[in-house]
Amino acid sequence: MFRYSLLLAGSLSFACLAVFVCLARPHAESADLLPGPVPAKFKTACLECHDAGIIVQQRLNKAAWTKEMDKMIKWGAVVDPGDRDVFIEYLTTKFPTDKEPYVAPRTAFKKMKHDR
Amino acid sequence: MISRREFLAGVSGSIGGVWPLLSRAADESVALPGKEGMIVRSHRFLDLEMPVEYANLFITPVEHFFVRNHMHEPSTLDVSKWRLSIGGEVEKPLALTLAELLKMEQRTVTNTLECAGNGRAFAVPHVPGVQWQKGAVGTARFGGPRLRDLLERAGVKPAGKHVMFGGLDEVPGKVPPFIRSIPIEKAIDGDTLVALNMNGARLTKHHGFPARVVVPGWIGAASCKWVTEIKVLDREFDGNFMSPGYRMPNQPVQPGEAVNVADTHPATALKVKSLIASPSDGASVKSRAIHIQGVAWAGEADIEKVEVSTDSGTTWQPAQLSKNHSRYAWRRWSHFWKAPRGGDYTILSRATDSDGHTQPDSVPWNPSGYLINVVDQVKIHVPV
Repeated sequence: MFRYSLLLAGSLSFACLAVFVCLARPHAESADLLPGPVPAKFKTACLECHDAGIIVQQRLNKAAWTKEMDKMIKWGAVVDPGDRDVFIEYLTTKFPTDKEPYVAPRTAFKKMKHDR
Repeated sequence: MISRREFLAGVSGSIGGVWPLLSRAADESVALPGKEGMIVRSHRFLDLEMPVEYANLFITPVEHFFVRNHMHEPSTLDVSKWRLSIGGEVEKPLALTLAELLKMEQRTVTNTLECAGNGRAFAVPHVPGVQWQKGAVGTARFGGPRLRDLLERAGVKPAGKHVMFGGLDEVPGKVPPFIRSIPIEKAIDGDTLVALNMNGARLTKHHGFPARVVVPGWIGAASCKWVTEIKVLDREFDGNFMSPGYRMPNQPVQPGEAVNVADTHPATALKVKSLIASPSDGASVKSRAIHIQGVAWAGEADIEKVEVSTDSGTTWQPAQLSKNHSRYAWRRWSHFWKAPRGGDYTILSRATDSDGHTQPDSVPWNPSGYLINVVDQVKIHVPV
């Protein structure tokens, strides 16, 4: 289920996000996009800085996911050494190169007048 | 190589689900005031793509203008305390208020801004990054003082070769700050701005309020948002977003091949490119008389011509260019076509610029999916 409403952010219950410093941040519910089972600590390691949308739209092989994971660790993602390979395996399995494209949501539309 | 066929396959792959997408958009659209009907590539950081159907105007409304953020937007900003500093290799460092910038001579430049990674979603093999399809592009009237005037006031020393821009992006973790530089020659071009306005109104937060750089004809990453520091350097800035970021291989590489940064150069000017805004890909049109229209741009060059093919590229007809014309801005184009009979058709558009470059059928793969400018195409169904 896809939820993005800012208004709902405060009312939705996400036990798994309770540990987030960023619980009050909008879009924390993007964790819902991650197909399960999600490795323990994956959400805290990755979604502290960015939402899940940027993950689920990627279609990469293991070498590319490994490169991305190592870049994120270099850039501050807190990943225990023992979790690195688990995370890479999760990403490679759930978001492989041959998976169908991710369909992104849209912002609400309001009809407008335009100058041509 | 990223070919026209792969480009279409990528679009069709996603457009194939167009009705579920639209339906979901209606039911579960994202509330984001000031941004209407945009494709949400990422919330945090905010990355919004313009649906290609909106590329049917000379000036893109701010509500439909794409947003590319590498970091968090500034969470707070006290304009009364905000200053734009100009320092580095200058005789007289400056720190200017917004009011002082507004008092300077204001120049307006109509510029087509495009993210270097627009079209990245079509790279084969896939590359990491925001999976832009066609709409990380838009045209706006940007207004503000010339960067040249600011640099002249500060007095650039002979050692000054590059001009660096730093913004107020909020950097998470240990991510390198989004800082880039442009050569002094481009910085003192009379059309390079410190923009305060966009389409006649003050910049919005998503587009860099209170000030952003606008480097006309160049990749969007050159046009730093929320700029607060301008620094003249004696060489190109060497931070992450100059190297290894935003660089192109000097020579074509094999798809998937790693590229040594020593064998790359910075991505600068945009390439010639066209988009078909209507009819939409996958559309079932109502009539055999079809108005094909779109836009075409070419970075620092002019659009010389746009051609349209309605038979999958076997033959090409010239499209009519609109009268609205401004250096650095896209040209709208249109072509009326009467389908000879009902059936399925592939419509293509290709642009040629004033330097003689024509959109190719395929482009070499590169590791970041930059500057993909293959011939555009849509598939439509014409009723019998």
